[in-house]
Amino acid sequence: MSPRARATLQRCLRDPRVIGGGLLALLVAGLALFAPWLAPHDPQEQDLLSTLLPPMWAAGGEAAYPLGTDTLGRCILSRLLHGARIALYVGVVAATGAMLLGTVLALVAGYFGGWIDWAIGRLVDVWMAFPPVILALILLVGMGAGVNKVILAIVLIDWTRFCRVIRSEVLVVRRRDYVAAARLAGFTHVQTIVKEVLPAVTPLVITLFSLEMGIAVIVEAIMSFVGLSVEPDVAAWGVMIADARTTMNQAPWGVIAPVLAIFATVLAFNLLGDGLRRALDARLVTSRGEA
Amino acid sequence: MSRIALQLLFRRTLLAIPILLCVSALVFGILRLLPADPIAMSLPPGATAADFEKLRQSFGLDRSIPEQYVIWLGRLVTGDLGTSIYFRRDVGDLIAKALPATLELVLLGLVLGVAIGIVGGLAMFSWRGRMGEQVLDLGTTGLMAIPEFLWAILLILAFGVALPILPFIGRLSPELVLPPPVTGFLLFDSLVTGHLRVLGSALWHMVLPAFALAIGVAPLVMRVLRSSLLDVIQEDYVTQARLRGIPEHTILVRHALKNAALPTISLIGVQGGFMFGGTVLVEMIFAYPGLGNLMVDAVRNHDLPVIQAVGLVYCVLVLGINAIVDVVYLAANPKLRVA
Amino acid sequence: MPGSSGSPVLEARGLTVSLRGAQVLRDLSFAVKPGEVLGLVGESGAGKSMIGRVIGRTLPQGFAVTGGSLLFGGRDLVGLEAEPLRALLGDRIAFIPQEPLTALNPVLTIGQQFGEHLERLRVPRGLRRDRIVSALTDVRLRDPAALLELYPFQLSGGMCQRVMIAMAFASEPALIVADEPTTALDVSTQAHIVQIIRGMQRDHRTSLLFITHDLRLASRVCDDILVLYAGDIVEQGPAREVSERPRHPYTRALQASNPPLGGTRRRLATLPDQMPGIAGFASLPGCRFASRCPIRDGACASAVPPLMEVGPRHRVRCTQGCLSDDRGLVPGEPLVAVPLDGRDPVLRVEDVWKHYAGKRDWLGRRHPGVDAVKGATVSVAPGEFVGIVGESGSGKSTLARLVMGLEDATSGRIMVDGVDVTANAGEARRIRLGALQMVFQDPQSALNPRRPVERLVTQVMEAADGAGDAERLARAKALMRETGLPVDLLDRYPSQLSGGQKQRVNIARALCVTPRLLVADEIVSGLDVSVQAQILNLLLDLRQTRGIGLLFISHDLAVVRYLCSRVLVMRNGEVVEEGATEAVLGDPRHPYTRSLVAAVPPEDMDVPWPPLAAAESV
Repeated sequence: MSPRARATLQRCLRDPRVIGGGLLALLVAGLALFAPWLAPHDPQEQDLLSTLLPPMWAAGGEAAYPLGTDTLGRCILSRLLHGARIALYVGVVAATGAMLLGTVLALVAGYFGGWIDWAIGRLVDVWMAFPPVILALILLVGMGAGVNKVILAIVLIDWTRFCRVIRSEVLVVRRRDYVAAARLAGFTHVQTIVKEVLPAVTPLVITLFSLEMGIAVIVEAIMSFVGLSVEPDVAAWGVMIADARTTMNQAPWGVIAPVLAIFATVLAFNLLGDGLRRALDARLVTSRGEA
Repeated sequence: MSRIALQLLFRRTLLAIPILLCVSALVFGILRLLPADPIAMSLPPGATAADFEKLRQSFGLDRSIPEQYVIWLGRLVTGDLGTSIYFRRDVGDLIAKALPATLELVLLGLVLGVAIGIVGGLAMFSWRGRMGEQVLDLGTTGLMAIPEFLWAILLILAFGVALPILPFIGRLSPELVLPPPVTGFLLFDSLVTGHLRVLGSALWHMVLPAFALAIGVAPLVMRVLRSSLLDVIQEDYVTQARLRGIPEHTILVRHALKNAALPTISLIGVQGGFMFGGTVLVEMIFAYPGLGNLMVDAVRNHDLPVIQAVGLVYCVLVLGINAIVDVVYLAANPKLRVA
Repeated sequence: MPGSSGSPVLEARGLTVSLRGAQVLRDLSFAVKPGEVLGLVGESGAGKSMIGRVIGRTLPQGFAVTGGSLLFGGRDLVGLEAEPLRALLGDRIAFIPQEPLTALNPVLTIGQQFGEHLERLRVPRGLRRDRIVSALTDVRLRDPAALLELYPFQLSGGMCQRVMIAMAFASEPALIVADEPTTALDVSTQAHIVQIIRGMQRDHRTSLLFITHDLRLASRVCDDILVLYAGDIVEQGPAREVSERPRHPYTRALQASNPPLGGTRRRLATLPDQMPGIAGFASLPGCRFASRCPIRDGACASAVPPLMEVGPRHRVRCTQGCLSDDRGLVPGEPLVAVPLDGRDPVLRVEDVWKHYAGKRDWLGRRHPGVDAVKGATVSVAPGEFVGIVGESGSGKSTLARLVMGLEDATSGRIMVDGVDVTANAGEARRIRLGALQMVFQDPQSALNPRRPVERLVTQVMEAADGAGDAERLARAKALMRETGLPVDLLDRYPSQLSGGQKQRVNIARALCVTPRLLVADEIVSGLDVSVQAQILNLLLDLRQTRGIGLLFISHDLAVVRYLCSRVLVMRNGEVVEEGATEAVLGDPRHPYTRSLVAAVPPEDMDVPWPPLAAAESV
């Protein structure tokens, strides 16, 4: 490992944001992974005799339902844990897809320039004319609802986030003489991109990926909130908020619990991305734009 | 406004045409992927196949998709946005009523958010290297982890339910009647027609939704302003100004802020566009009768004419705000003005 | 001596600046008298900029004054409160910056910035405009009234520097600190700027602290010179005395490693290695120059030698005393012209043009394009060293990129070994790969920071496949030896190398395919003179051992003269003059070449410089 890479890694591991965000993300991931064993109840199981129970520490709460129950008497904690699975599944898969699509297009556009760059640039222009939420709604009406459709929609929308930022970084790297030197050493274009350009933009890609996971979690929550993601009885955080919103007066915890879960998860990815941005000095990233 | 600014606006409008053509084709194409049939959904249970066909024909849905697109586009140019399948009303009318409400909300939200952002950014900058900066910095990270629609819900919980001091449903108190429309913009109309109670009530109703939108942009403005100020004070010309004995506050106002404003203006352009997206859920949650609410209703009912028209309107709004921000940027950056 | 009387304007008494315990400036004492010019000369890292930074309180993070005092008009600037210091800056003490283009705020006009300065000097609003116009006239800027409305980016570097000079003199300060005021400017502008600064300084009887890396320039501008090495004063005295009779081995080496523009071409005498970095200071308790010193003895490394008087006001820090004039000064042997065999040229560039289309700005207006290269014709025979001289924007770098195939020529032919490489792109890459290689200007940019040295110098073998690790290592070791690099650097990364080492790696990489012609674009411009001389000698050695040819692109006439037998002078994309180097530089025909030659201070101190003619033709 080069001393530069080692120093960077040390900087990452010393940054409190990276540590804090990383640990929080690991915690959420662990809870999601072991949800079936950790959850006290089946997330679908209804107990119509004990609906809208408050959390166990509040007056009238029951130990069987640590965070209380919803309108149908389902265990909020269990639904929260199972909701984490959906949130992380969407976060990881959608961010990976958007990263792959956006990075490849950015490398091609920034490296070759010319008409390819022009064409990809205009495509980004068209995409940027949409507020992301609007495009997501339109895509999901067209493709039909469902978690995987949500993932596809996020990939199809958010590739531009990667493409825009990484392209401008590729343009910077492209001007470095070592890229010219690689060509003079007989490297093909593909060799040059993979061996010389890509490693230089990797820190930026990692940073954006972390931030994108947070964005994807939010988009999934929005879409399940308006009923375009999972089936209405599946435990997803957005569904839980939508369900509990009607009884917000009597049972505010039904809303607060999933809001906190979203907050913690997105915060974890943002902290991680933010810390990585500082440690990797990927200056071009301006954190999240609104999804 | 200078000639160059008008030139820029003209060029922006010209460039917007191909983009909007692509956008409209994209929207139209995506919506035609739809597996479910919106007509079938909107028919009453006892309808016959003949009713179904008749309705399909009346909406032009029996033709090929490119044909439908051309027809739709042709009507669009003449200002005919079609008829809503669900509301059975002219789409243009629906949008005309909803659009001013959304514009007012976004404007208020943006002004609020930018104001908070600038104050916060300056505070972070002037507390650099101290405790206050750390706290604010961590605070912005926390704020940014909560999207607008959750802010909407949290604000309702806090100021509508727990402390019931602010209204959170609709645009006006139910006992008030709308003043006669002049421009369609409620705040403006109620002011010029002297319905001050309506004006007050409307503003009161906008506090929470506008605030929900504002917290979405404020932390970003804060951070960008702070980091561009930090960059600018590293610049050689700031050092040179210090070496000429220029007082520190003059340097901040005259040298640093003027340059740091540039990236901040760009950011506000992008965020202003995103904010229109933020209104969708915020309006729905506050039952605020704007475009976003219309959009959600249309989406739930697969009301294609409304979805494609509202989608297009959103894109026009985004391009419009980008053009305005470009003009502001131009005014602030002599490098672009003096070519 | 103007102003050899009177109490000093600025006086350092044992001034010491440290970074984490390492003394970056060690016990510095000097005085600047009224109306006098003191030159601080040293290579990068010598600490010459620290004094200006102590005055302006702009020391980098971590640096601090840890001893001594710096008196200005009797007041110690080190301990001064912020507010009284601010009152002095810009008024009694003024600065002329190194990078004039970045020293002015891009969003404010010249008039606004100058006006702000006058506001700070409490000039009443109504008088400001006239004051600015007359100040700009003083620095010989044409049409100053029109300049007021312009932004800095609409001006050239030389014009910006004149504005900065005018602002510096606006308050009739007692002291002006000029830190490398001409380094960022083109050669032909440098002479004008020096002329203006010197003239204004004389007229206003201002004291000037002139900081530079260029001993020859300092000897022309300054009354006294102070040579710094690794934070120590190694020699100080009257400018003429120091430059004509340098006594410290380091000063001598500085003189000897700087190729002259006239006289016999001799092989440059070089010092080994380069100046230690700050991190190394702590392990050098004695004379910091000892490890590179040709006349050192055992005592040098352990104790700091005192400054010893060797002549009138001429002092040298050396235990050896350096009393004898000749100790350690061995002139290099004269260079002999290498006869060229009459074979066909390796490279032949025939009437090559390069046009860049103008870009559209954001209003969609297309800016006019430029012809970066206009009909250049060059040929290089095997083993021949050809120089291309020109300033920034002359098209010399574009020509190099065209030759290497990094850009495509708009028209014309480029022949490598008699094959037209502009015709067949696929074949061209293969032909070039075997015959031509390029050494890039900035090793920082040319060496991928993620590759260790071994994988940098043998990068060509990676593309070709087939080469095993052992073969690569063997080749890498051979290249390291050939370019004078220690083999144990092979697993280092560029960030762990010094500037000179990086440039050697850069050269080693180009040699890996055993090319017959190297194209070198400004490869020594970022290096200190002593390191520059090492690289120049390396190139000469390579011609001996490999018979390699060189297309050497540079703005520095003296360096081109040292290396190249033939030279082309480029301006605005055109070759304006070409011929045998001695003929072109000795008797330049084109007015542009003449102005380039005139801009270089001649070695003979009796020849006046800057020439008046140069200063007048603004």
